[in-house]
Amino acid sequence: MPQATGLIVCLVLFNAVVIAAMVARPDLTAGRGGKILAFIAMFCLPIFCGLLGFSREMGRSKTTAFCLSCHTMQDYGKSLLVDDPTHLPASHFQNRRVPTDEACYSCHTQYAMFGGLKVKLYGLKHVFIYYLGTPPAPENIKLYEPYSNRECLHCHLGARSFEEGVVHNADPATLPAIKANQLSCLSSGCHDSAHDLAHLKEAKYWKRGT
Amino acid sequence: MLSTSGSEKRLRFAGICLAAGLLIEALCLMWATPIAFIVFVAIGGLLIFIGLVLYLHSQGSSPVASD
Repeated sequence: MPQATGLIVCLVLFNAVVIAAMVARPDLTAGRGGKILAFIAMFCLPIFCGLLGFSREMGRSKTTAFCLSCHTMQDYGKSLLVDDPTHLPASHFQNRRVPTDEACYSCHTQYAMFGGLKVKLYGLKHVFIYYLGTPPAPENIKLYEPYSNRECLHCHLGARSFEEGVVHNADPATLPAIKANQLSCLSSGCHDSAHDLAHLKEAKYWKRGT
Repeated sequence: MLSTSGSEKRLRFAGICLAAGLLIEALCLMWATPIAFIVFVAIGGLLIFIGLVLYLHSQGSSPVASD
């Protein structure tokens, strides 16, 4: 458990113990001082602890480990370790083009107003289907919306390798079309090898130097 | 603690809800899994919310005490 989470847990437990003491010994809250203590322990601190914990949980829900904790996602996690530089998620993960501890979220969030909220709601839908519905087979999982170039351009826009790339500049119309999301990075036959689950069995895997 | 048994009961019940909600939240914080997130928000959050409302209600309904 990371140190910050440990501290939050300690604070939450401390708050619970103080409240339990007040429930067990109501005379603690008698008088002005007791009432102030009760207000802090039973109103201010629970709100503070709740918000702190919620913020921690929201942060944790972005982690790669969180996404891959569902059985359905494990093949997608494996695809991050495919030893093939043309395999898009693998090359991003292995070369740290995305933070490795937030690899899924970095590419699958939406870099737009309320995009983070929207993908969190999608995430809740995933959890609902996973626990209460019938989750599809991993190879049948589809994106809710076509993948937008906006997500790629969030990092690659302005990067030399993107702006001065030979293929990107072979035709003067290509780069503006990519930037306007008229020519998809993924589905135009250029960077189309993303999470190729069909070939995972015969794929070679990168062994991390750990 | 309070002069009316009704508001005292509410305050106790608020304390129990808050303590239970906080314990659930502490437990959920120890696991980074989607189900822990759901339990944290749905059960822990709900218990804390009920506890807060009951606490405010107990304070609002208790007569002003002179110290």
